[in-house]
Amino acid sequence: MSETAMLHNSLLVGALLFGIGLIGFISRRNMIVMFLCAEMMLQGVSVSLVAWGRFHDNWGGQMLVIFILTVAACEAAIALGLILMLFQRSGRLDIAAWQDLREDSVPAYVDREIVEVREENKLWPKLTPSGIEPPVDPEEIMHREHV
Amino acid sequence: MDTLLILIPALPLAGAILVALFGRQLKELSHLPIAVAIGTSCVLSLFLLNEVNQKATDPARPANAVGYEHTVTLWTWADLPDVYQPPAPLGANQPEGTATPSPAARDYSFDIGVTLRADPLTCIMLSMVTFVSTLVTIYGAGYMHGDRGYWRFFAYIGLFVFSMTMLVSVSNFVLLYVFWEAVGACSYLLVGFWYEKPSAAAAGKKAFLVNRVGDFGFALALFLIWSNYGTLNFHDTTITNTVTQVSETTMGVLGQMRLADPALFVGGGAAMAICLLLTLGACGKSAQFPLHVWLPDAMEGPTPVSALIHAATMVTAGVYMVTRCTPLFVASAGVPAFHLGDYPVDAGDVVAIIGGFTALFAGLIAMTQHDLKRVLAYSTISQLGYMFLGVGTGTMAAIVAGMFHLITHAFFKSLLFLGAGSVMHAMGGIIDMRKFSGLRHLMPVTCLTFLVGCLALSGAPPFSGFFSKDDILGAVHDKAHHAAELGHTMRGNLYSSLYWVGMIAAILTAFYTFRGFFLTFMGPEKIPAEAGHHAHESPRMMTVPLMILSVFAAFIGGVFFFWHGFADFLRRTPSLAFKPVADTFVAHAEPHWDVMLTSSFGALLGIGIAAYLYLGKNTEAKFLAERLGPLYRLSYNKFYIDEIYNALFVLPTWLLAKLSYVLDQNVIDGLVNLVGWIPRFGGRLLRSLQTGMVQFYALAMVLGLLVLIAALVIRPGG
Repeated sequence: MSETAMLHNSLLVGALLFGIGLIGFISRRNMIVMFLCAEMMLQGVSVSLVAWGRFHDNWGGQMLVIFILTVAACEAAIALGLILMLFQRSGRLDIAAWQDLREDSVPAYVDREIVEVREENKLWPKLTPSGIEPPVDPEEIMHREHV
Repeated sequence: MDTLLILIPALPLAGAILVALFGRQLKELSHLPIAVAIGTSCVLSLFLLNEVNQKATDPARPANAVGYEHTVTLWTWADLPDVYQPPAPLGANQPEGTATPSPAARDYSFDIGVTLRADPLTCIMLSMVTFVSTLVTIYGAGYMHGDRGYWRFFAYIGLFVFSMTMLVSVSNFVLLYVFWEAVGACSYLLVGFWYEKPSAAAAGKKAFLVNRVGDFGFALALFLIWSNYGTLNFHDTTITNTVTQVSETTMGVLGQMRLADPALFVGGGAAMAICLLLTLGACGKSAQFPLHVWLPDAMEGPTPVSALIHAATMVTAGVYMVTRCTPLFVASAGVPAFHLGDYPVDAGDVVAIIGGFTALFAGLIAMTQHDLKRVLAYSTISQLGYMFLGVGTGTMAAIVAGMFHLITHAFFKSLLFLGAGSVMHAMGGIIDMRKFSGLRHLMPVTCLTFLVGCLALSGAPPFSGFFSKDDILGAVHDKAHHAAELGHTMRGNLYSSLYWVGMIAAILTAFYTFRGFFLTFMGPEKIPAEAGHHAHESPRMMTVPLMILSVFAAFIGGVFFFWHGFADFLRRTPSLAFKPVADTFVAHAEPHWDVMLTSSFGALLGIGIAAYLYLGKNTEAKFLAERLGPLYRLSYNKFYIDEIYNALFVLPTWLLAKLSYVLDQNVIDGLVNLVGWIPRFGGRLLRSLQTGMVQFYALAMVLGLLVLIAALVIRPGG
């Protein structure tokens, strides 16, 4: 495979990663998913950087990617911490629960129809129990579906 | 002499400061510092008068001196050397191509020293001002008793006396202007003394605004004097350079050097303009037509103020100023301000015409007024007109007569005003003559002293007004006679008509004065309800000044007339010892028996008519008023001058102000509001984008990125 074709392929992969991440970021409301999508966009950029670095035969691209990975790791820690905080406050992972920065005159976005919860979605993921089960307040709205 | 000259204004100022600072603590004793200070000033003025008289009439004085003057410089107020290069040497009266440059050809320096002067004119004014002020202050202590602003009143009076004494004793035009304004400010403060009363506040404002017109002319005259003479000092100033020890002398406008040589005065159009502008200034301050409208309204102030400021002292400042500037008027003689037929009317003639016309005009108005103080106010305007007629006529006899009338008028008019104040005090503030009458038994002292004042004002022999008024009329008559002899027919006609105008005004004076007297003190006793328990003779504090003044009002004219010292003293003022004026002096002139006879007859005629109309049943006056309907209404409404000024000046100004207000509110503010409204409108448009939805923001970023990429791709030449 020639260097040019390799560059093309790599750039195509990077662009795909970036595009998928972008679409996911815009279309999903689950904060964790949005975060993953943002990461995916970052990786798309990283792939194209590596591709260009190889194409031009210098290490600048790779070096930059190492930096990005480091920064992304820190940023992931902060972002997940933030998401955890937000979840604890509202009990939801829905980003639409946080619209407080809008103008007073703009109406809040409210879901026009709540999608009916299907039986099979009520299944909780089975995890190996460990430690002490946290106390759950039955009054709290804990609908986790479709987020 | 220096100490005297400085102390005379300084004492009232010190008193005023004391009362202004501690008036709240002094309360009912506030009049004491002021009365003591002004009284001491009065005594010092008499000392100064005596000393100046001795020095001025000393036969051992150098023969070449023009009059007598003594100056003392306290400190230098402004000293700006060589500030202005005159465009051309003072050419009007200089011979062409003189080898040595004349002193006036130097660059002009603006040096103004706080310099006081003592000369006969100043001394006479100082003595008169401080004497009347002392009596008015004592009277005021009784009149203002119990007023809330008691100490404020006396602080203002002290400030006024300081300003007035400075006005007559400063020795340059700038300080003359400063104190000219200062007395105007005191007048404003005192006219509006009862500022809660809207009419008093309005009257103060009117006095101030009308005076601005005159002061504007005065200021322009000062500018012209400076640019033509290169100095504003009256006296010659000598500056010795400390390094080179060379002395430089600058000729003062009215200094000895210039007065010695009439050719050093500026002539031509500039002189005429200076004199006319000075006349405008004098007309404003001395309430001459057409700027007389403020004085009757100024009667809203407390009556002692009317007596002091608006009868005796401040309003005579214009006469003083014209007298002081006599050489300037002489220098402009023969330069036509306008032509009457083929006769060129010069600035002095203009002053005389204004004076004569005002004397008659104000007399006509005074005939029908119902307010006693307003009658006296119009009478003051009329008498000031006589003084203007005198100083405008410009011969030595006429100017001395004008000053003579100024002195006698100060005494009898302040007496009349204080008498009217006494009536007002007893009647509980009512001064409308329709509401009271027959007060002769109620207030005998006021009645008698008022009668003396009336006789003096109407010119009945042998009271003082008779002599001074006759002196003016006689001098005018002489001038007309001389002009006719020299073949100046038009000038002769002008002055003989002014003489007859003065004579008719004298009859009117006698009529309106005694109309006021008869309506107030004669007839059935009638007391308005407002008088209450006040309806009795005024306290001694008020009647004693009345008695003192009535003695002076009765006799001072005769004393001055038969003792020739007054004219002999006054003519040694530098401005009047100026050769063209001094040449017209006639020692021991024959009294004008014909003029005296005519005017005595006129005075008796006026008194007789008043007695016929207003004594007894008082029905003829009403009948006459009805028969002369339009003429009566014209006089009663003051010839509609106020209404004309309202329509000509006040209304357009008001409309302009209204227009400016509307423009400001709508157009100017509208523009400003528009500028403020644009970002608000933009913000409102963009506000709907702030949804708070993260996805929406992300989408906006993507779209923006797409736009950037598109721009990069389709960029021309990209």
